[in-house]
Amino acid sequence: MATNHDIELRHHFDDELDEIRVSLVDMGTMVLANIRRAGVVLVENRLDEVDAVVAADLPINEAYEALESKVFQILALQQPVATDLRFLVASTRILYEMERSGDLAVNTVNSMSRIDGIPSEPVLQAILGQLIEAAASMFGRGVEAITVMDAGIGLSADAEDEETDRLTSELFTAVTARQDDLGLEASVALFYIGRFLERIADHGVNIAQNITFAVAGNFPEDY
Amino acid sequence: MTDEPAPPSAREPRVTTSHTSQTEAPRTTGGTPDDDHAVIIDLDDLDVFYGDFHAVESVSLPVREKEVTAFIGPSGCGKSTVLRSINRMNDLIPSARVEGAVSYHGVDLYGPGVDPVQVRRHIGMVFQKPNPFPKSIYDNVSFGPKIAGHSGDMDDLVERSLDRAALWDEVKDKLDESAYALSGGQQQRLCIARAIATSPDVLLMDEPASSLDPIATLRIEELMYELKQDYTIIIVTHNMQQAARVSDRTAFFSVNVDAGQRTGRLVEFTETARIFTAPDKQETEDYITGRFG
Repeated sequence: MATNHDIELRHHFDDELDEIRVSLVDMGTMVLANIRRAGVVLVENRLDEVDAVVAADLPINEAYEALESKVFQILALQQPVATDLRFLVASTRILYEMERSGDLAVNTVNSMSRIDGIPSEPVLQAILGQLIEAAASMFGRGVEAITVMDAGIGLSADAEDEETDRLTSELFTAVTARQDDLGLEASVALFYIGRFLERIADHGVNIAQNITFAVAGNFPEDY
Repeated sequence: MTDEPAPPSAREPRVTTSHTSQTEAPRTTGGTPDDDHAVIIDLDDLDVFYGDFHAVESVSLPVREKEVTAFIGPSGCGKSTVLRSINRMNDLIPSARVEGAVSYHGVDLYGPGVDPVQVRRHIGMVFQKPNPFPKSIYDNVSFGPKIAGHSGDMDDLVERSLDRAALWDEVKDKLDESAYALSGGQQQRLCIARAIATSPDVLLMDEPASSLDPIATLRIEELMYELKQDYTIIIVTHNMQQAARVSDRTAFFSVNVDAGQRTGRLVEFTETARIFTAPDKQETEDYITGRFG
């Protein structure tokens, strides 16, 4: 039985929405690259690369402002509803999650810089290497969710993030056990670095869960 | 940027919620926040025919009192036909025929012995184009109560009706002037005052603001918000943003085209907030997002 669904409309609007999605992926890719760059700085004690991480955050902030402005404009001019509205609202949240993740990558290398590099302690370096990899991986899951608009990634993301939480706890335990040797300043800096990396992973989870909301209409229960 | 992994393709198509069969029975009950409001009008398996033409099929939905219920949908989907069946306005069309039940406070309005004139006194109507009588402002409002044998203070009733329609302050010094001297928006509010002067408890509004400018439209919408404290309102509108702004629940109608015959049907009926954020039916989503018309 035929219906009146014979005319497709709003191609221009569809294009605008897809441009937002592609721009989110692009911005997420920039942030992910800087998280990994910060990881190299951290693991290899590359103090000479700290400024490069700081500098790479500037275009991320510019992308954030430009995209937020674009989303705001679409909200005002197109009066989106339903899936379109959910996607755009999710986009504003995702932009925030990404921008904060970029800041946390910078915070990580700045904390390391303040103590003149990670102490030469194999256990700490090993945990940090795993933690940075886990955090980057979780953030990448968020970017992947936007790329394919997959509601399912957000449903499993919180469980996937348990590895980051475990490694963060492991780092805190290792630092606590060595605090006399490390000294107060280095211990505090390492606690902060652990916290920054854990938060990056949390932002990746939140990004994926916002895509679940955009696609399926509801947040996962653990959001 | 030398160490990042290759990102997945950023050009994959967007994915939306899954499509739902058009033949699936529509949701006909809402949830929060107003389920404590009693059902005042209940459409039960309503079919409307104009001669051999099957205009609307199998519409069932409850209208709750002191809420605004919006009917939306493309042209020819039967939303105005359903609206007009609620106060038996379709009786004025000789070939019109109704099957199923339209209950008002539990009384079948199409049952034997029901007087359509009395139905319209309880269930008033406001039309798309303001249609004041060629009389004074005062006479427009007092006309209905006079016919109904109102024995109280007519001046007081006219003032209260105009006040409820948010028009009193603008016309109190020119009640004897012709209603035609008013602006379009004022004329429509006069028609609302005329409709409520006979003390109905339901107001049917068929695109009441479609001929008005944006400011006059917002005045009508604001008025509807005030009126629903005391009245049940059902509004047909082509303006989806208007439905989103003013209504508590929304019914989305669509149309089947079969062998050249277009028959309207109810697709989805639920809370307005849900319809415009996460509708259950893909067909509803496609319409309200403007993907299909």
